[in-house]
Amino acid sequence: MKAQRAGLLAGVAMIGSLALAACGSDDNTGSADGAPAGSSSPSSTCPTGTLNAEGSSAQKNAIEEAIASFQDTCSGATVNYNPTGSGAGIKQFLAGQVDFAGSDSALRTTPKDGAVEAQQAQQYCGSPAWNLPMVTGPIAISYNLKGVDKLVLTPEVIANIFNGKVTTWNDPSIAKVNAGVTLPSEPIKVFFRSDESGTTENFTKYLNAAAPKAWTAQPGKGWTGKGEGKEKSSGVAGAVKDTEGGITYAEWSYAKDNKLGIAQVDNGAGPVALSGESVGKAVAAAKQDGQGNDLRLKLDYATKEAGAYPVLLVTYEVVCSHGKDPAKTALTKAFLEHFASAQTQKSLEDIGYAPLPDEVRTKVAAAIAALT
Amino acid sequence: MTPLRVETPASKAPPSGTPSSGPRPGATARAPLASALAPRARGRVLRDHAARVVMWAAFALALAPLVWILWTVVSKGSHLLLESQWWTHSQRGITSRREGGGAVHAIQGTLIQGAATAAIAVPVAVLTAVYLVEYGRGKLARVVSFMVDILTGIPSIVAALFVYAIWVTTFGFQRVGFAVVLSLVLLMVPTVVRSTEEMLKLVPNELREASYALGVPKWKTIVKVVLPTAFSGIVTGVLLGLARVMGETAPLLILGPYTKSIATDLFAGYMPTLPTMINQDRNELAQSAAADRVWAAALTLILLVLLLNLAGRLVARFGSVKK
Repeated sequence: MKAQRAGLLAGVAMIGSLALAACGSDDNTGSADGAPAGSSSPSSTCPTGTLNAEGSSAQKNAIEEAIASFQDTCSGATVNYNPTGSGAGIKQFLAGQVDFAGSDSALRTTPKDGAVEAQQAQQYCGSPAWNLPMVTGPIAISYNLKGVDKLVLTPEVIANIFNGKVTTWNDPSIAKVNAGVTLPSEPIKVFFRSDESGTTENFTKYLNAAAPKAWTAQPGKGWTGKGEGKEKSSGVAGAVKDTEGGITYAEWSYAKDNKLGIAQVDNGAGPVALSGESVGKAVAAAKQDGQGNDLRLKLDYATKEAGAYPVLLVTYEVVCSHGKDPAKTALTKAFLEHFASAQTQKSLEDIGYAPLPDEVRTKVAAAIAALT
Repeated sequence: MTPLRVETPASKAPPSGTPSSGPRPGATARAPLASALAPRARGRVLRDHAARVVMWAAFALALAPLVWILWTVVSKGSHLLLESQWWTHSQRGITSRREGGGAVHAIQGTLIQGAATAAIAVPVAVLTAVYLVEYGRGKLARVVSFMVDILTGIPSIVAALFVYAIWVTTFGFQRVGFAVVLSLVLLMVPTVVRSTEEMLKLVPNELREASYALGVPKWKTIVKVVLPTAFSGIVTGVLLGLARVMGETAPLLILGPYTKSIATDLFAGYMPTLPTMINQDRNELAQSAAADRVWAAALTLILLVLLLNLAGRLVARFGSVKK
């Protein structure tokens, strides 16, 4: 029958396309990036399997690099990272959906909405969960203002811009710290992260610590200031790029990629420009807050140290100290070891991150070695 | 526009597309009557022209975004599709800053999930439609029909969250390809039930009666007469339904996390698909390599859906219900 033949044909076509698609290659090491395939022979410590992680979008570019180089070395291993945001990452970790979470702030030890994240994690893991600082990402206060290449801001001015008290670029408070710069009378358009974000939390922590009088709201993952919300770092950076007079806070790499102006920050010891070096100084000044191998850092946002750039975030990898599945634990250890290695950390500098200072890095390596 | 000729409207063929709007023939028979009718006829012709202008404007308005989208996607995405790598390699080891890699992992994932969805949804939907058309009488049939109507109106995000609540929250399973398939089934079943029902209703009753007259039992009549007659229509409905669910995004975002490596197991691990591939690089549009991949993946998805739609139309053309 004709009709049936047509249906049969459609079926054959579908199955055919399936079969066609069934032959694909995962090997992109060849011509793709110029590195000869198999240049790095798999080392004997290479576990195989799949590792799933989710969380902070601030570290996405960094962890993508680390995953790419890790998979080059260990071709039997696959690491997936979905940059859904710190809040979502921790939720999925607590729900047992991922092997580790990436978060821009360590697990909370104080209750919020009746739940303490660190306790929930301990309950889920059956052992304490550790926060391992892995990626240092400076937050760039990025603006788009024609003809203004150099802009200096103090914590009070930043706080007043982001809580809506200062509304035009030629406001006297901005002009005071930018002597000799012609500021337009353009209105200031503030963009903030509409999703729950560790970047927002660290930025508001900075405002709260460095300008406690001007910024009175509690720091948190959700934005409490004024402005227009955009999704993810790329959203806010893209919005500023398209808006004359726009300002936002975003990771350094997003500001660089979108070619936005980056404000210098004056915490009281003179304006400091954003650079790998100035960020390193601020991280080295941070104190360890956790116990043992739980390496949560206490950043001194209000630091008056000369040449230290104070607005930054540290992305932690949140792991169970005693994993449930030995195979997964071995894979997690191997990947994190690779991520924390001096070589990987150094490679991150090109894409807008600052390498972990050596004294922090050795502690992280020791903690990873202690994972069981 | 042609000038108005109210004196001899009927001598001209009515404008194409608006056959009923011309004045009645015979209006020209007597000149005095014609001149008496002239103002009314002029009004009609004016209305005709106005309606035509509005119609074309609406058509152009509806077409403009479509052409615009197609042009943007094709012009920005086609060059990657012409590289053989796009069809043979995955994105493994390709960061959003790097160029290269392909979409074969995502194409596979989309096809596998589509096929699995069809494998579950089609039997359920076709059997439901057969019940509704051939057997269903009374309360139960009304309830089933009502439920299908309700299912049709369910937004995809609700279907996705429903499956998440059962699969992850209640049973504590991992997010895998099969969970996505389940939520897609929820979306596909009602559309296929409705289209199959229409096709079965189109089958002339004489065919059934002839079959009964020969002493063929009812089930055999349905299997050997009714279903084959409506076959091409059913296939068309299935392919259109499939095309719809393959472009679905909400269930994928919630239930099907993305991976850059090839993954074909529906029951373990993450499974990449074209919509999630687009979503992954969507946040990196400042990177030209990532932006190119987003457009190319979008074009690939459009082509896949287009192919399915074409297949549906072809089946409909070559095997329509014979009277």
